[in-house]
Amino acid sequence: MGNRTVIPFGPQHPVLPEPIHLDLVLEDETVLEAVPRIGYIHRGLEKLVEKKDFQQYTYVAERICGICSFMHGMGYCMAIESIMDVKVPERAEFLRTIWAELSRMHSHLLWLGLLADAFGFESLFMHSWRLREQVLDIFEETTGGRIIFSVCEIGGVRKDVSPETLNKISGILLSMEKELKELAKVFLNDSSVKYRTRGIGVLSKQAAFDLGAVGPMAKASGINMDLRTQGYAAYSKLQFEPIVETDGDSYARTSVRLREIFQSIDLIKQAVSIIPEGEIRVKVTGNPNGEYFTRVEQPRGEVIYYVKANGSKFLDRFRVRTPTFANVPALLETLKGCALADIPILILTIDPCISCTER
Amino acid sequence: MFILSVIMIIILAPLAGGLLTGTDRVITARMQGRQGPPVLQPFYDVFKLFQKESIEVNLMHRFYVYIALIFVMFTTVIMLTGGDILLAIFALTLGSIFFVLGGYASNSPYSLIGSERELMQMMAYEPMVLLTGIGLYYADKSFFIKDIVSGQAPAILSLPGVFLGLLFILIFKLRKSPFDLSMGHHGHQEIVQGIKTEYSGKDLAVIEITHWYEVVIALTLVYVFFATRAPVSSVFAVLACILVYFLEIVIDNGFARTKWQFALKSAWIVTGVSGTVNLVVLSFFR
Amino acid sequence: MSILSMSKILFKSILHGPYTVLYPIRKKENYEHTRGRVDITVSDCIFCGLCQRRCPTGAIRVDKAGSTWSIERLQCIQCNYCGEVCPKKCLKMGNQYTSPSFGNVRDDYTNARVSDNTENH
Repeated sequence: MGNRTVIPFGPQHPVLPEPIHLDLVLEDETVLEAVPRIGYIHRGLEKLVEKKDFQQYTYVAERICGICSFMHGMGYCMAIESIMDVKVPERAEFLRTIWAELSRMHSHLLWLGLLADAFGFESLFMHSWRLREQVLDIFEETTGGRIIFSVCEIGGVRKDVSPETLNKISGILLSMEKELKELAKVFLNDSSVKYRTRGIGVLSKQAAFDLGAVGPMAKASGINMDLRTQGYAAYSKLQFEPIVETDGDSYARTSVRLREIFQSIDLIKQAVSIIPEGEIRVKVTGNPNGEYFTRVEQPRGEVIYYVKANGSKFLDRFRVRTPTFANVPALLETLKGCALADIPILILTIDPCISCTER
Repeated sequence: MFILSVIMIIILAPLAGGLLTGTDRVITARMQGRQGPPVLQPFYDVFKLFQKESIEVNLMHRFYVYIALIFVMFTTVIMLTGGDILLAIFALTLGSIFFVLGGYASNSPYSLIGSERELMQMMAYEPMVLLTGIGLYYADKSFFIKDIVSGQAPAILSLPGVFLGLLFILIFKLRKSPFDLSMGHHGHQEIVQGIKTEYSGKDLAVIEITHWYEVVIALTLVYVFFATRAPVSSVFAVLACILVYFLEIVIDNGFARTKWQFALKSAWIVTGVSGTVNLVVLSFFR
Repeated sequence: MSILSMSKILFKSILHGPYTVLYPIRKKENYEHTRGRVDITVSDCIFCGLCQRRCPTGAIRVDKAGSTWSIERLQCIQCNYCGEVCPKKCLKMGNQYTSPSFGNVRDDYTNARVSDNTENH
């Protein structure tokens, strides 16, 4: 019976991107159990629907999270548009898809940098984020903001992108692809990185299905589940195959996210080549009345939006089920029996976005 | 005369160590695509830390840090005045033990685990350091550094395996990835700052200065392998030190941090293979 | 067993130099669409109050009787909703953002025409 210590991990910890608290019961660097506690960043955003009308709430919805901000706005707008039976013009659908895929790229690059930082590989972290800066510059050039763009609105998008800018984006992405291949080689082949990620936090396919894992966490365990195949926005017109790996360890999750970046570049290239001309917004009048569920594939997994409206300009209820919340039981399962040095990596493999989880 | 040289060593060695640490940070930053701080930044940091309040958990954990500094200064003086290398190694080990005791005395879970990891690191590199001392005795028939550096041939010609082993464990001593398990330079560690967690103000400044002395000690060990009676050899030796330091920076930026099991195993394998084989081969020739 | 696979990227960065811009000594050029301060041409304003009603944070305050339009700079989230709903199109978003300040900054704009009229009488 070794010496047991209880380490308070978080809420402020240099390796965590956002505050989450774990009480870890350790016995000589092996974790016996982990007791989580969340609630440090709850801002009461769902209650704000009673104060801001449904048009103003678009700006609040996209500020639920900084990393997945565009998709929150898009999901909210899609839900309201479905209630009010508004048909968004095709060009707006394609523009939304392009921005959504760029969001996915920047989120995965951010995650790769944080993972490298968690196992002490600082130079890889800096180089991943250097590549991410190029995506953020694309955002600033087309929408005006780097992280929160305020470009989605009910009825379409607010800013148009000229064909020259679209070609410029393709050119930037082509040069990024070359540098990304070098970075991918380090992530997937370097032996010290493999030593820290192979065999860590194995989640079998049955366990992932039972615990309700979503997103790359489930895809790395062999579950073929990608909501983009449902065909919302412009995805029904684009060709792609969901990426699935079978090992279920941290190495597989890194590999899934890396390959998703390359897949996003390919999707954007397809979208830029077939984007039609036309309007980018439709005028929306009146108030919504009804309820609707929307599902969107965020970088972290499947997110569900539920909107209930009653005919006035204030919504009745707005509820978000974020993917991090669904992945937390899977996280606690993988934490049992791991070493102390693996904890930051395991927490980061679910890609925690605690601001989304506790709106 | 001797007193004067001792005082000069005590004052100038940390200055050299601080400059080396400063250039380390600039080169690391350029490798990562950043601008990097000014070269004198470690001195600015230490001056700032001296002005800050030292929040103490208890008096003991502060006391141990100062004792560790005194032992490290003692080691530097012995090595740079050409004294007994075994005495220097033992004094350095004793200083490190006091540092670890300081980590235990502060009763915080993070510094506790940091101290345990530091003890693992010491178990990993001590055999190789002792083998270096013994190897130099075999090569030059004396434990005294002033005899080793005034030999006919540079020690590396008869001790290449020991030198390679020394390069491997220098990663531990200089606290660089992949073996910076106990005390993070960059933060972002799973045990916050490790042993350094509970220190602030003057004590943290003293830990920084101890690290500067340790850099000088580590590079002196490299210098001893290359210096001979001829004065031109000291130029080569200094060049070798600079190259070794640059290699350590590249290794620091090119590896992820490993876990303690791998660090211990790999250090002992390298000690066993390159150190012991070298000494066995050498004993056939002498 | 591949070690030091990062070395190619490391040496390329040393030769290339820093990728970062030494702000604030050297500033980066803002793009045309970059979100910045909201500026008003107050002589065109009719003080209808639509911008005040639509602002998501409530940063704008319009006083029809006193003919003043004021904005709380640090509460503005640069969404440009006010600029889109303004019927006279007198609200424009520039591409230089609000500079940081120590306290809350409320910028007041009064209609110059009105002051002229009262003074010249």
